[in-house]
Amino acid sequence: MFNTALTWNDLLFLAQGAGMTLAVTGLSVAAGTVLGVIFGVMRFQLGPYWFAPLTFLLDIFRSVPLLIQLVLGNALQSIMRLGWPPFTTSCVVLSLYTAAYCTEIVRGGISAVPPNTRRAGRSLGLTWSQDMRYIVTPLAVRVSLPAWIGLTLGVMKDSALVLWLGLIELLRASQILVTRLQEPLFILLICGAFYFIISFPVARFGGYLEKRWSPND
Amino acid sequence: MKNSTVFAFGLAAALATTGPAFADKLDDIIASGTLRCAVVLDFPPMGARDENNNAIGFDVDYCNDLAAALGVTAEIVETPFPERIPALMSGRVDVGVASTSDTLERAKTVGMSIPYFAFEMAVTANEQSGIKSFEDMKGKTVGATAGTFEAIALEKQVKEWGEGEFRPYQTQADVFLALSQGQIDATVSTSTVAQSNVKSGKFSGISVVGKAPFDIDYVALFANREEYGLLNYLNLFVNQQVRTGRYAELYEKWVGGELPDLTISGVYR
Amino acid sequence: MFNYTFHWNQAFKALPQMLDGAVVTLQIALLSMAIGLACAIALTLFRLSGNRILGGFATAWVEVARNTPALFQIYMAHFGLGNFGIHLSPYVALLAGIAFNNAGYLAENFRGALKAIPDTQTRSARSLGMTSMQAFGYIVLPQMLRIAFLPATNQMIWAILMTSLGVTVGMNTDLAGVTQALNAVSFRTFEFFALAAVIYYVIAKIVTLAARLFAARMFRY
Repeated sequence: MFNTALTWNDLLFLAQGAGMTLAVTGLSVAAGTVLGVIFGVMRFQLGPYWFAPLTFLLDIFRSVPLLIQLVLGNALQSIMRLGWPPFTTSCVVLSLYTAAYCTEIVRGGISAVPPNTRRAGRSLGLTWSQDMRYIVTPLAVRVSLPAWIGLTLGVMKDSALVLWLGLIELLRASQILVTRLQEPLFILLICGAFYFIISFPVARFGGYLEKRWSPND
Repeated sequence: MKNSTVFAFGLAAALATTGPAFADKLDDIIASGTLRCAVVLDFPPMGARDENNNAIGFDVDYCNDLAAALGVTAEIVETPFPERIPALMSGRVDVGVASTSDTLERAKTVGMSIPYFAFEMAVTANEQSGIKSFEDMKGKTVGATAGTFEAIALEKQVKEWGEGEFRPYQTQADVFLALSQGQIDATVSTSTVAQSNVKSGKFSGISVVGKAPFDIDYVALFANREEYGLLNYLNLFVNQQVRTGRYAELYEKWVGGELPDLTISGVYR
Repeated sequence: MFNYTFHWNQAFKALPQMLDGAVVTLQIALLSMAIGLACAIALTLFRLSGNRILGGFATAWVEVARNTPALFQIYMAHFGLGNFGIHLSPYVALLAGIAFNNAGYLAENFRGALKAIPDTQTRSARSLGMTSMQAFGYIVLPQMLRIAFLPATNQMIWAILMTSLGVTVGMNTDLAGVTQALNAVSFRTFEFFALAAVIYYVIAKIVTLAARLFAARMFRY
């Protein structure tokens, strides 16, 4: 099994694929988080009724398979003649997907801040933005960060689906090599190892934070 | 405030009238200096990648020829089979040189040129399955690339036989991987693909066992449905490729053997 | 802006076919959930057993399931195992892939749930004369399942969404497979996939609602 036709060049090709996976993930998570924070704060401030239309919209992103979302997003941009390359389309769809989950995380984080603490802050003369900045943010981040790390890793793994649009990310790169070298098991194992190496340490770090910051210790 | 709106309107109107009247896609391509072709790169020998993962194949050369005829440079845009049409619709590519069968169903969505290539269908079987001909596939597990001409025909055939199983895979590569692993007993594919995969020696234990009695699969270049100027040009280009012998030359280079006839007797196009 | 005419009637004509696909999708999701649940309970027991080999096996399963893409797991179940001459049909490969993934995530949920159940309960059960299996089965497991029910519902939704990945291993009977086949024939991508999205959404909502009703009935105090 280990005498393989895989060359350093091919490993580099795989690494490039991994780079693409990370680029798509990084951009989507960054944009998705910004959107998610905005939506999450809005959701908390407006209350469930006024925010209902957006809740419904974001819920769609969590109830339809990402594969379908990507295909639809791609078809839509093609119908609207936006001429986006697959990379842009993938990032936009993944960002909205991330934002949908992130909104819930942010909302949960803000609701976990005891209202009494906030009221105390406000009665000491803090403005709303000061309250948000000095009281809510530090507390909410502690609650939300482990979940956010989980989300980031989820998006990283789900980003494998962008191969459907023709982006050569890690899994697609390994498929191309499988086609050429005909060593499916070996190459797929390497591909899996790549994912594992990226994901596992971060997941462990998230678990550590969760333990460390857990309120009931 | 009001003045500026009027001014803007005037400017827009002036631009609209002085701009080139009805620049169509063909003009756009020539003006931009690049021709962007959608090519499927896991479909040897039509489209494939060499050791350095560069694009090669019949379709790649064909696109280069087309670009040369237009006096522009070619840009190969790799598209998986399902992505060919969205890429065209969104204006990411100008034409598709992607071995696309010219079915009536598809012509409702995109515009097809006259055929630029014709495939015959061959049966490739895993040697352990004992399949020796097309009829032997009855009752076996067979597969093909989803959505292709041969997949649609094969699926219909399996339903007609009433036994056996049909499995569509998303890429040609997956079909042959499944075939060599014995996941499926046989596949029907274009004879060019079958020959090229068997000859490559990468797949052990498979061989071409015969022809499939399906209609000849004519494949066409495609562009947006309403771009008549471009479609006309493509038709003439295909004609010229055959006339000048370039078609035969490319066929010899990538496939070899008897040159498929691109005309259908008894009817005009 | 649009230079595209929607052919919705084509999509609606295919609706019966797509609904048949939806049934297969739901079936795979439910089966994979049942298998995943059984495996997850076994994995949890392995982890509690204190046996290093069993514990290591369980940990490896959970970490691989959680740290690689589901698409990779399904691809592996079909083409990776195919390399050893183990031939899973697309249906079984998809089912196995999702069940493997479900088991990993559910086992991790159970671990979290176990932490919420005080140790003293097991100890008092043991001191009342229960065997360790009895203590787990009668005392710990019911509480664990109750605490983990909500995350498990989410996992069920995930399982439904994951079935769409079957198209990559030649699945053509589930909702995504049917949709993709229709799309390949006619190139009417948007119409067919939009309809599929609506069907997935409805399924997800029905399952969520059913789970809530179930929880309201089962977990009353």
